Amino acid sequence: MTATIAPTVEPAQDETPAAAIPRRRRRPGIGWLGIFFLAVFVGMALFAPRLAGYRVTELAGEPLESPGPGHLLGTNLVGQDVASQIVYGARMSLFMAIVAGGLTVFVGALVGMIAGWAGGRTDAVLMRVVDLFLVIPSLPLLIVLGAYAGPSMTAIAVIVAATAWPPSARVIRSQVLSLRRRAHLQASVGFGARNTHVLRRHVMPEIGLIAAASFVGAAGRAVMMEAGLAFLGLGDPTRASWGRLMRDALDFDALFNTSAWQWWLLPPAVCITFFLLGLTFLGVALEQRINPRLARHATAHRRPR
Amino acid sequence: MVKAMVRSSGVLVPSGGAVDLSGIGSTLTVDAPRSLRRLTQFRAAARAIVLYGVTLFAVVTVIFAIPRAMPGDPIAAREDPTDSLYVSDPAVRERMLAYYGLDKPLVVQYREYLGRIVKGDLGWSISRNMPVRELIGKHLPWTLMLMGTALALSSAISFLAGIGAAWRRGGARDRALVVAMTGARAMPEYAIAAVLVIIFAVLWPILPLYGSKTPFAEYASPLALVVDVARHLVLPAAALTLGLMGNKFLLVRNTTIGVLGEDYMVLARAKGLSDRRLKFHHAGRNALLPFLTVLGIQVGFAVGGSVFVESVFAYPGMGTLILRAVEQRDYPVLEGCFLTLATTVLIVNLLIELVYARLDPRIGSTS
Repeated sequence: MTATIAPTVEPAQDETPAAAIPRRRRRPGIGWLGIFFLAVFVGMALFAPRLAGYRVTELAGEPLESPGPGHLLGTNLVGQDVASQIVYGARMSLFMAIVAGGLTVFVGALVGMIAGWAGGRTDAVLMRVVDLFLVIPSLPLLIVLGAYAGPSMTAIAVIVAATAWPPSARVIRSQVLSLRRRAHLQASVGFGARNTHVLRRHVMPEIGLIAAASFVGAAGRAVMMEAGLAFLGLGDPTRASWGRLMRDALDFDALFNTSAWQWWLLPPAVCITFFLLGLTFLGVALEQRINPRLARHATAHRRPR
Repeated sequence: MVKAMVRSSGVLVPSGGAVDLSGIGSTLTVDAPRSLRRLTQFRAAARAIVLYGVTLFAVVTVIFAIPRAMPGDPIAAREDPTDSLYVSDPAVRERMLAYYGLDKPLVVQYREYLGRIVKGDLGWSISRNMPVRELIGKHLPWTLMLMGTALALSSAISFLAGIGAAWRRGGARDRALVVAMTGARAMPEYAIAAVLVIIFAVLWPILPLYGSKTPFAEYASPLALVVDVARHLVLPAAALTLGLMGNKFLLVRNTTIGVLGEDYMVLARAKGLSDRRLKFHHAGRNALLPFLTVLGIQVGFAVGGSVFVESVFAYPGMGTLILRAVEQRDYPVLEGCFLTLATTVLIVNLLIELVYARLDPRIGSTS
């Protein structure tokens, strides 16, 4: 089997030529909104020691104090300050986004570049491995791995990346496949350039944008998975995590009989949602940069009837 | 020119182009004889079965390898009386040691392990002191019901909404749907579940807060039982449905928008076909195959989402079982759950692949 894949030429599918669509005033895109959300959480993580009034484990007040001047979001069952835990929880999520997300894309890009560039049997074998990973449900696997790996932050980042790399490998492989046929790459190979040189000099710059989009997606999944594992009781017990905050709240039997859910359960859920929304918006904006056709569809005017 | 594509385990590869018979740039596709089509379908099915068999074997091997490859000793804490995980019952400790069998050579361990799995023996729960298989047997049906409901509901809603949104793309409703679905896709299931609980069980208490049945209830009739179970299913199923809807909706919408401008759509409209027929028979049909592919991928996500949702609602399925097993570090239960859930996902994916081979007109047709 030859590994060459014909470039797919997309037929023009809009019935109205692009020029006929009246140009709208440029609005600040959805990507900026995403960056704004993320910036808030990055600020929270960076200035956590200043923003938080208390240490994460410190018994700062009476159990289940309502929000007030001393405790902006009240206290939990043992009297720890919830607002401080939220602020420090941003650090955990940010760490996961950067480290686990970065590691995921690194492994994915490595596998994708090797598969796409080498082609042939290497490609076939690697892609079978990717297929295999894609059908195995990742959360139960992560739970087993997490239970054995122990609750350290780094261990969680590594196992999250170990289960999450296949989608980015696939995306980057297909990009490399389409690059292979470009004239300057062919020329470079013709002049006797080594594989490592071609990959570093010509392929890597071209997959930058795709890798960035891939990173944003992987970061989102990593944040979601860390909070999920912490939510299931597999997180690092010495550090604050939004997932563990929600788990602690739900473990309190009388949570919904009191109004404690308002300041104990809701804030971490809102924080993780907005963090992930920020990443999603940024991802959507990046995808539109990469594939402008998507953007045109998203804002295309109503079809004349 | 149209290229025929054959789907082999999720990757599209070209299988020779269509022949231009008329010489004016149009293509004429001729269906292969029925028997040939059958044969190719059969081969696709056999291939899929082998592939999923190999994957299942890989899962089993991974489960064997994890406790042996990871740092740390799963048994040490169990034999240390000062540790919170100490197992005091010597009979249970005995069974636990037998489960791992770490004193034997690795090859023997592997052979014995495979033999046990084939017999359906998933080991012994350390914390509950009963066979893992029995525990899973009690919990799995609830998870299957939850997942099945959510997958079916999310598929139906996202398909209809996706075509509807594509039909009137750029309209207010389309834009609202795209934003809402993108948001739903970003939210993790446990957050969705928590928000739903707060809205529909606390602020406006019309639905039960947790569990799968009213505790200690005595039912006047079987119907009352069904109603009670259904009422308890609403919120968990809704949370999972919301989590699974976004991807499928966006896929159907974008695929459908892609074909709306095609010539055959213009022709169909010119023939005076009803909007309904145009939408579902001509446009929506194109979204069906990619939809199936995404559905297959989503079964795996649904398993994870179900674990999260259940642990919010204390719904007595696999998620709650896993939650309790994590607390007790009950490794045989966790491994059994992983194997069961992975097998479920593989079986559903195999079924989807078989349906795909039957539905896809390109498989087994020659040009």
